[in-house]
Amino acid sequence: MTRFPHMPLSAASRSAATSRHCFSDPSRRGFLTASLAAAGLLLLPTSLRAADPARSSLAALAFDGDVLLAAGQALVRSDDGGQSWSPLSGPAQILTLATHPERPGRILAGLAADGIALSEDGGRTWTSRASGLPAGPTDALAIAAGQPDMIYAAIRGDGLWKSEDAGESWSLAMDRPWLDEAERDLLTLASVDLATGMGGIWIYAGTEKGLTRLPDCFCRWQDVQPGNAMDALVSGDAPPSEAPLPAGQPIRALVSAASAPQTLYAALSSGVWTSRDAGVVWSRLAPGDAVSVAVHPTNPDYIFAAVDGGLKQSRDGGTTWSALAAI
Amino acid sequence: MKGRALTFTCAIAAGLATTMQFAAAQPPAAPEAITFLGEPVSADRIAQGQEIYANTCASCHGANLEGQPNWKRRLPDGRMPAPPHDQTGHSWQHPDRQLFDFTKLGIGGVVAGYESDMPAFGDVLTDAEITAVLAYIKSTWPDLQRDMQAKLTAKDEEGS
Repeated sequence: MTRFPHMPLSAASRSAATSRHCFSDPSRRGFLTASLAAAGLLLLPTSLRAADPARSSLAALAFDGDVLLAAGQALVRSDDGGQSWSPLSGPAQILTLATHPERPGRILAGLAADGIALSEDGGRTWTSRASGLPAGPTDALAIAAGQPDMIYAAIRGDGLWKSEDAGESWSLAMDRPWLDEAERDLLTLASVDLATGMGGIWIYAGTEKGLTRLPDCFCRWQDVQPGNAMDALVSGDAPPSEAPLPAGQPIRALVSAASAPQTLYAALSSGVWTSRDAGVVWSRLAPGDAVSVAVHPTNPDYIFAAVDGGLKQSRDGGTTWSALAAI
Repeated sequence: MKGRALTFTCAIAAGLATTMQFAAAQPPAAPEAITFLGEPVSADRIAQGQEIYANTCASCHGANLEGQPNWKRRLPDGRMPAPPHDQTGHSWQHPDRQLFDFTKLGIGGVVAGYESDMPAFGDVLTDAEITAVLAYIKSTWPDLQRDMQAKLTAKDEEGS
C-alpha cells in the first residue's frame, strides 16, 4: 500500500496530462492544465498559493459533511462555510473529488497522474487506490448512494470501472458511452438514488456531448428520459416535454443532492444549471464559466460552485449567491 | 438493419451446431419453479424454449448463455456485443415485462434511439415462443439470481 502525502507526476504522465488537454472548449480539465502551463509548474507543492486566477484553478469541489473541499493544484478545506481556507497535505493534480454522507472524512481524489487516492481522515493522510486500474487520468469519481464502499471511476480513454471494496480492487463495469458517432470520455459522474426499475439506481454522467446515464446493473448507456418515456414509446403516445442542457457544452461537473436525488446541479461553460426532475427539465441558476459545483449532503439548496475563476455559494438552491473567500 | 440481418444470418448458420452443444448447458431448474409474467411455465414449454434459444439466440448470446467475448467493450461500429444471459450478465436484473419487450421490440424499441444488433423478434417469434425462450433462460439461473429477478418482476407488476 503506497502512502503519499505528495504524489508527483511522472514525466510520461505530465506529457499525457498536458498533450491531451488541448481542447478548444475550456473544459474542466483543460482549464486546470492550461493554468498549469501558464504557471510553468507541473510539480506543485501542496501549500496554498496566492489567489491568482491563473494559478488557483479549481478542478473539483465537494462537501465532506459541513466541510467544503476544493481541489486543483492544491487541496484545501474550509470549516467555516468558505470564509477561510486551510491547506491539506494531499496528492497533486486532483481532477475530481468524491465524498459520501455515510462516511464522514472519507475523500476520494481522482488524479491527473494515473490513479486514485483515498483519505479516511478528512484529507490529512492518503493512500493509493490505483491497483488494478488501467493507466490514465481519473476524470470522474462517484461513490454509490447508500453504498459507501462502492466506487465508480472514469478512466480517460478507457471506460467506467467499479470497486466494491472502497478501491482495494477494481473491475471493468462498462465501456464509454457512444454519443454522436464516437465513444466519449466521462467528465463527471453522479450516483443518483432513484430506482431504475431494474433493482438498482442510476449512474449519471456528463460528457463533452451532453448528459447520459447508466443503470447500476450496467446494461447500457442511455439518454435521460422522463419516467414514463418507456411507456410512451411502447404505446406510441407523444413523449413528455423536456428542456435539456444546452448542446455543444461539455458537462464539467454533475452532482445529485443526496437528500433529494431528483435535484441535480451541473457546471457548464454557460453557468450553473439545475434540474428538479432528475435531468429532464433544466434551468440556469447563474451565468458564468462554471467548472465545478457541489451540493451539501443534507441540504439540497446549499451549493457552492467555481465560476469565472472564483468560488460562490447559494443557500437557497441558486436563487441568490454570495462570494466565498479567495483561495 | 444491417445488424439485424447479420444477427439472423448468424442465428440460422449456427442453429444446428448450437443445438448439439446445448446438451452440455446447465440443466434447467425444476419446472414447477419457473413462471413468466406470473404464469407457470411447463417443462415442455421450457424444453421448447431451449430449442428456440439454440436456433435463434445462441449464435450471439452463446450456446451456454455466455454472451460474446469481451462483451463489456464496444464493437468498432459503436454497438455493444451481445451480453451473457447467465448469472454473469444482467438479464436477471430486468423484470419479466422488460425482458419480453426487449425481445419482441428490440432494444431500440424500448430505449429510444439506442442502436443495437439485437433485432426485434416480434415478426419472427410468437408471444408464446418468446415466453418459452425467456422461461428457459430463467430456468438456468441459480436460485439467488432467480429470486432477485422474481422480486423485481413482482415489484414491476405492482407498479403497472
